[in-house]
Amino acid sequence: MAPRIPRFAVGLGVCLWGVAAPLAAQTGDPDALVIVTGQQATMPVPTFMEGPQNLTANFDVADQLFLRLAELPPDLVTTDERRFVPVLAKSWSRRDSLTLVFDLDPRARWHDGQPVLARDVVFTFERARNAEIAPKLAGLLRHVVGVTAEGDRRVVFQFDRVYAEQFYDATYNVAPLPSHLVPRDATVANPPRGFVGAPVGDGPFRWVRSLPGQFVELAANPDFFLGKPKVDRLFFRTAADPEARVNLLLSGEADATDNIPAPPLANIERVSAAPGLRAVPLASPVLGYLLFNQRDRADRSKPHPILSDVNVRRAIALALDRRRMVESVFGRYAAVPYGPVSQLLWIRNGSPSAAGRDTVQARRLLAKAGWLGRNDEGILTRAGEPLVLTLGYPLTSEARKQMALQVQEQLRGVGIQIEVQRLDGPVWAQRRSRGDFDIDFSSATQDPTPSGLTQSWSCTGGTNVAGYCDPGVDSLLDWAIASPSGPAAGKVWQEVIRRIESDQPAVFLYAPAFVYAVSRRFGKAPLRPESSWLRVREWSR
Amino acid sequence: MTRWLLLRCLQAAVTLLLVAILLFCLMRLAPGDPLSRVSGEQQLTPGALAHLREQYGLDQPIARQLAIWLAGVVRGDLGASIEYGRPVTSLIAERLRASLLLGGTALLINFTLGLWLGAVQAVRRGTPVDRWLTAASLAGYATPSFWLGLVLAALVAVRWRLLPAAGMQNPLLASDAGPWVRGLDIADHLALPAATLVIVSIASTMRYQRRAMLEVLPLPYIVAARAKGLAESVVVRRHAWRNALFPVLSLAGLWLPILATGSVFVESVFAWPGLGSLAAGAVGTRDYPLLMGTALLVSSLIVLGGLLTDVAYGVLDPRIRWA
Repeated sequence: MAPRIPRFAVGLGVCLWGVAAPLAAQTGDPDALVIVTGQQATMPVPTFMEGPQNLTANFDVADQLFLRLAELPPDLVTTDERRFVPVLAKSWSRRDSLTLVFDLDPRARWHDGQPVLARDVVFTFERARNAEIAPKLAGLLRHVVGVTAEGDRRVVFQFDRVYAEQFYDATYNVAPLPSHLVPRDATVANPPRGFVGAPVGDGPFRWVRSLPGQFVELAANPDFFLGKPKVDRLFFRTAADPEARVNLLLSGEADATDNIPAPPLANIERVSAAPGLRAVPLASPVLGYLLFNQRDRADRSKPHPILSDVNVRRAIALALDRRRMVESVFGRYAAVPYGPVSQLLWIRNGSPSAAGRDTVQARRLLAKAGWLGRNDEGILTRAGEPLVLTLGYPLTSEARKQMALQVQEQLRGVGIQIEVQRLDGPVWAQRRSRGDFDIDFSSATQDPTPSGLTQSWSCTGGTNVAGYCDPGVDSLLDWAIASPSGPAAGKVWQEVIRRIESDQPAVFLYAPAFVYAVSRRFGKAPLRPESSWLRVREWSR
Repeated sequence: MTRWLLLRCLQAAVTLLLVAILLFCLMRLAPGDPLSRVSGEQQLTPGALAHLREQYGLDQPIARQLAIWLAGVVRGDLGASIEYGRPVTSLIAERLRASLLLGGTALLINFTLGLWLGAVQAVRRGTPVDRWLTAASLAGYATPSFWLGLVLAALVAVRWRLLPAAGMQNPLLASDAGPWVRGLDIADHLALPAATLVIVSIASTMRYQRRAMLEVLPLPYIVAARAKGLAESVVVRRHAWRNALFPVLSLAGLWLPILATGSVFVESVFAWPGLGSLAAGAVGTRDYPLLMGTALLVSSLIVLGGLLTDVAYGVLDPRIRWA
């Protein structure tokens, strides 16, 4: 006879489960909102969200805690200051074309009861403009040459040049911090642990607690000067695995999520089919593209032996059936972009459609570039050398994996051999930044401003790793950025996009939408593409 | 015994030091660093990247970085995580609790149930019970833990809504909830991940125990016990089962590091905030301080597991001498 497990232990286990199982059902809170995200906010404090802390999760929480001076208009046009929405700033005016004046709302208070003053804005922008403290922000604010206080509630911004996005630069990138609580020189690598562990803001929600790896809890700020939020308790719950996020939604343990990852599309279908949930597609800032290296991998001073030829680059673009690829991977939740423009950028309005597949023209262009022969495997050759290129991407991206295989197959059809390299994220990034690639499967997350395009597509752009350089594009970019009025700038931006498309420094493959899931118990649930949960303060049942 | 124990501890300390230095060097030799990933994702300019490298001390020579890290370890300071911006010791302490809870529960059930079922199989060798238990345990063993976790979550949590789908506690639980309610809530969340771990791992315990019992049962002292007229249950429990525990003990020693790091897949599928997923994330992001901290912890547990197994052998089996 074998040893026995005591019966009382079995009974105890069953009883515990019996009591515990229905517990979850008894703890619902109708005035709470649980948002499930892939990452947990670790430092949701403006000017500290640099480098490794530049996470969507941090921005999501910071948006609830800290107020910007003004918010973008619904159509995300960054050049018309009259249409921005007042938030911390009650009003604004211009002294001249280089000077903006903001008057703060006198009702604004920090969560510790102190008034929000002009000196707080000045203090925060001093930090943000200091490259030693906030290197990325300092780059974004390079045209802001001075921020000064005039009295307690007036802030004056001075710019070094006339351009259409002065107002955007003054309002979008930085939300003010309480100067009485944050050390002046603290950095992301050496943060004030007390403050970043329990931030004090001026937003619609205040900090309650964070359980590492589990959730961040915020509570409605009853004294919020723009009106107390309808949601009493707000949770950002963490589940890194997409399946776990979907399970939390479907089991009713979470109310919303910001990006149901596709592929696979099955998760979106599961959410769409759930009676208690709505799937809401919304413009995303993501842009996926095949970036052609135009410099030699081994010697950056020389042009790339194959890809420096515009005919080869255009041939590759024409050989790909981008629409079919996008549809097979993203379903109806992505578009083929025209130029380096995600769905978030307002300059995409009025752009023509991207060119379709034309393998005859592709073969003609390759022949024009000297690729006339063929080897035993059907690969094109020039002076005996086969047309072989590498295509690298990070192994964490399922979309890029699926598309890379399709690119490989379709290009083989016109005689181009692609060697797919699936790389560990840091290895991929290192190779990319060194220019050690032929074709890089890039994915960019764009800010709402088109000015960011200079970083990747101008000759001196800081992230122009492919060595693309067209002085004509540079001139157009300068012109577009310097254009003082919105409509005029819009026309020049269209010209920039057309010129880049014509140069074909990359094949712009996909601009996806993010599919949000929202519980139907929230009748009013406005979402914002530039910052998912910015308007949670307006959510109601 | 004291001299032997001191010697083993000294050996363990030297081993750990060598492992730490080796890990540190290997990590730095691997391509990419914490900021190269960030620069790729955020498209940082070289200037901004240089400022960040300086802030995190990544611009220092490797030997200096190693010296600073080792000096910190001696003081009990493992540095600050680059990804989380918090001390590594705090992060590990927070996540270790969750891992120990999950791993400990799974281990307890695994050994309690596994030893019992293994013994049942041995006693009823060749019967349908033995065959069915073997088939069931091997089926569990052959099932990928992430797949089993997904299936259990989809059925038990999503379809039947009997247990929570993920996480370690219900965030909506009232802040004034008592310890009993909180404990039940955690037990509620623990059930599915623990069940997954047990199902995929119990086969090894059962197989070990079955084999050990089969070796012990025909031995002369068991025959003698029966000849004395002892009840079969007493023979099995007091004489056979206890002596068949030794091989399983070495298995328990191997479980110690798993206890702490848990199963990365199970933690991921159930969003369990354990050390395994923390360490896996640190590998992907090249978070050097966190990676070194978790690697040091796991190395220590492996060394400690071996040490404890040796000690346990010595205590339980008087034939083994301290040498």
